[in-house]
Amino acid sequence: MPQDASDAARVGKDVHCHRRRESENGVSMAKPDRSLLRVERLEMGYRRPDRWLPVLDGVSFEVEGGEFVCLVGPSGCGKTTLLRLVAGLERPTSGRVLLDGVEVDRPSRSVGIVFQEPTLMGWRTVEANVALPLEVNRTPRGKALRRARALLELVGLSGFEETYPAQLSGGMAQRVALARALVHDPRVLLLDEPFGALDALTRERMALELLRIWRARRKTVVMVTHSVPEAVFLADRVLVLGPRPASVVAQVEVDLPRPRTAEVMGTVSFAAPARQIREALNRAASSP
Amino acid sequence: MTGRIGSRIALALLGLTIFLALWQGIIWLRGYPAFILPPPAAVMARLWELVADGSLWFHAGATLQEVLAGLGLGALAATLLGYGLAHSPVAERLLAPYIVASQSVPVVAVAPLLVIWFGTGLLSKVLVSALIVFFPILVNTIVGVRSVGRNLRDLMRALEATRWQVVWLLELPAALPVLLGGLKVGATLAVIGAVVGEFVASDRGLGYLLKQGQQLYDTPLVFVGIGALVVMAQSLYGTVALLERGVVRWRET
Repeated sequence: MPQDASDAARVGKDVHCHRRRESENGVSMAKPDRSLLRVERLEMGYRRPDRWLPVLDGVSFEVEGGEFVCLVGPSGCGKTTLLRLVAGLERPTSGRVLLDGVEVDRPSRSVGIVFQEPTLMGWRTVEANVALPLEVNRTPRGKALRRARALLELVGLSGFEETYPAQLSGGMAQRVALARALVHDPRVLLLDEPFGALDALTRERMALELLRIWRARRKTVVMVTHSVPEAVFLADRVLVLGPRPASVVAQVEVDLPRPRTAEVMGTVSFAAPARQIREALNRAASSP
Repeated sequence: MTGRIGSRIALALLGLTIFLALWQGIIWLRGYPAFILPPPAAVMARLWELVADGSLWFHAGATLQEVLAGLGLGALAATLLGYGLAHSPVAERLLAPYIVASQSVPVVAVAPLLVIWFGTGLLSKVLVSALIVFFPILVNTIVGVRSVGRNLRDLMRALEATRWQVVWLLELPAALPVLLGGLKVGATLAVIGAVVGEFVASDRGLGYLLKQGQQLYDTPLVFVGIGALVVMAQSLYGTVALLERGVVRWRET
């Protein structure tokens, strides 16, 4: 596929990306490796009354176990669609998603999802919201509540167990959603612009919180965001998507030491990957 | 808290006193005969007679039975069909014209037909009552089930929830406030339906009592019947409203 070839060329030029070289050359070489999640040449489109609207055009990437990967791209490029495909909520036109070597062909408990809006059940208390995944998979009630409370403590919401979502701020509600996504211990955490609806200050604090939680749980995370600094701050690796129909136009490794603090944003090693991402976005936007 | 309840009772008593005074006042002023507008005392005396010989309980009980059965049947049928229609836009488009058309036929007009088909007993009244209750609850069920957000549905799918879990954990609680709103309206309509059924043909019930009172120019009896119906409809409405407040406490912030 020419798309893959040009991806590989660009990536090679832009980034020091050695360890995934073999997969860039072709999916046919797929064999058991360290990657937990493989996305192989995903194509997706929607039928419109008058035409076919392509959304994804051959998206391929891999994510290793324990890795934090951010997807950035222009708005409306299909980031959310991509995440929904990874979650199995929608089926691609062609290509496939492999989780642990098994094709994802339907939604599964192996992923935890956080949507852009908190998406809590208003009639359930905070702890009952967090315990929902366990209730669905029929975990005994006592154990479910214990786990839910432990997760609430992790996201810093101890004392709000009996509160109803209507009484929470946007940031708190999103923490509840995060706790709920983690409570059944999924293999992969999918975050769809989870801080998109929050104000800048809360957003920064939430990013720090997310890193702390990620460190504590060592989850594999794929997060969609449209904020370049946020992506660099959080991720091990940032995948840059082009405009619709989207494909991966660049992969940028972020070699910032962990644990990261807010101070890291002023450093040179922060600026460099951020610039690379911006350049890749601009290049993709200007090329037809 | 007790002070507020106390003042509310006092206010209600004041309202009742003014109402009775106006009623009595009009009779004194205009000198209407008792068969046109009986004085409050005559109505109370008639009420006492009916309570004493047990006939009020008998007739109110008969009507209440029809109302509850009609409300239950209508609500159940409307909820089930509404749930199906909420999930099938094709079926909704197919059935909607007929459902709306059925609503433009006055229940009063259908009631005689139901009596011909199902007899003069309990069943025909239950059906009239169920019919009148059906539509508002149907509409509210559809609105309620459709109000469930796409993200929450996706969340349940991602958790591999069963069909039944989606109903029980998501759709029912999400739709409940709207559903109870429909039931509240339905509760008062069910009383109307039962009385209409009794008007057509019956040998018991508050509707029967009203008709008797009319034919015998026993106007105090008519007043007692109306009063009993008001109390019944109010209690049903109040019960559902209470239920509603208990269930959707979470909405208050």
